[in-house]
Amino acid sequence: MMQLLYLDPGSGSYLIQVIIAGVLAVLFYFKNTWNWIKSFFIKTAPKNEEEKNESSD
Amino acid sequence: MNQAIKPHAASFRDPSGFVYEKDGILYRFVSSAYQSAYDLLQSSGLADELIKQKKLLPFTEINENHTSRADWYKTLQPQLLPFVSYAWEWSFDQLKDAALTTLSICSAALKKGMILKDATHTNIQFVNGRAKLIDTLSFERYTEGEPWVAYRQFCECFLNPLLLAAYKGMEVHKLLLSYPDGVPAASTANLLPFKTKLKPVVYLHVHLHANLSGKADVSTTKQTKKVTLKNMEQIIQSLHDCISSLTLPTQQTTWNNYYDETILSDQYLSEKKKLVAAWLGEMNYTSVIDLGANEGEFSLLCKKEALVVATDFDSACINSLYTKLKAEKLQHIIPLIVDLTYPSSSLGWANAERTAFFKRKTFDLGFALALIHHLAIAKNISFNQIALFFSDICNELIIEFVPKTDPKVKGMLQWRKDIFELYTEEQFEKSFGEHFLLKKKTAVPGSERTLYYYQKKQ
Repeated sequence: MMQLLYLDPGSGSYLIQVIIAGVLAVLFYFKNTWNWIKSFFIKTAPKNEEEKNESSD
Repeated sequence: MNQAIKPHAASFRDPSGFVYEKDGILYRFVSSAYQSAYDLLQSSGLADELIKQKKLLPFTEINENHTSRADWYKTLQPQLLPFVSYAWEWSFDQLKDAALTTLSICSAALKKGMILKDATHTNIQFVNGRAKLIDTLSFERYTEGEPWVAYRQFCECFLNPLLLAAYKGMEVHKLLLSYPDGVPAASTANLLPFKTKLKPVVYLHVHLHANLSGKADVSTTKQTKKVTLKNMEQIIQSLHDCISSLTLPTQQTTWNNYYDETILSDQYLSEKKKLVAAWLGEMNYTSVIDLGANEGEFSLLCKKEALVVATDFDSACINSLYTKLKAEKLQHIIPLIVDLTYPSSSLGWANAERTAFFKRKTFDLGFALALIHHLAIAKNISFNQIALFFSDICNELIIEFVPKTDPKVKGMLQWRKDIFELYTEEQFEKSFGEHFLLKKKTAVPGSERTLYYYQKKQ
């Protein structure tokens, strides 16, 4: 594995990912819960065209 | 190693392999150190999936070791790139698409047990109108719990310059020319407005990142906490959402309404288009360089089978052309920001990694429409110098002469002393006649301008 680590990840960039991971987990939890609640009231709109193109072609 | 096989000047950092040229064909040497990752890239179907989605440059395996190296595992022959460009020539939306392609590749890789081990703009090229990853060896086996080794590089190369463009109106190509390895988080955080601290994703990826840079010991962090696969997917998703939402602040630039201005009559533009289109119809060309392309009105007249590199120094014009080409699915034109008086020079280690703009290719045909006065008068470059320069970069040339009586030139000379005694049609023809043969010449109706079709002297 070591021979592939040719890029310096930068000190602090590991710690930041651990912190971001924690905060994002909370943010995504609330976002998903909110979307779940919203889905009871609003019919979800289809994904926009650009996103569809990017994933399909 | 075989004496004749030398790695490409830009291919020396990654021990997994290197690119080299043999008999005019580019190949990629894959080392046995990369065997496990390469096998997974193929067996998982990731390479095929990304090539099918036009996100990875196609390549074929060649069962031959051109080198005498014992660590040979595979030889790959990548599809030839029509024209190489760099981030210091890209507009906002080009860098944004390069960023989103990188993230979507990383996300697809995670689903197949792999991850990108580097995420730099130099791994992306525009091919047939799409941003594509050209480095087949950028993938490595993903180990759950490990953070993304290329995270900082991605932020510095893509996220930070895009944020500075969106929030401060800075130009991404100029930022990346100053910081070819990417704009550091600390510099970005200093320049971004306070309101970005209130945006959770920007706060985390930039402001907090800047505060923590260099402060933590990697080994202790790694031992105590893990970044799970779900965490990793969320990090990639947050970067993708943030970058997708970024847009350029709207502003009028010097040139992006050039042809809409009333000073030039409608008849002038339509007649000029007709003349150029008629000449193009009689010409035989496979590559075109359009200098001072503005929003690409004349590049668009070229046949679709030809490669057209449309350049302008105005980033708003190039961005507008890029979005137009993307919307209309026109793949033969590559729009790039090039300041003719300061074109991209040779960069990188030993000045050999990134080739200077005008050393990359000689074109069959050059366009210099409504350009000569900007070089000769605004920049004090003589007709002799301009003619010599064009004879170096193209074999045929369509050039427009704009006389001193033209309203645009009058405007340029309004506030400065006219030191341009030699700026005459006669001198123009004399200078270009030294390097080119005049094939055609015609006045452009609706103006006092003249269009010339020149062929380089052998």
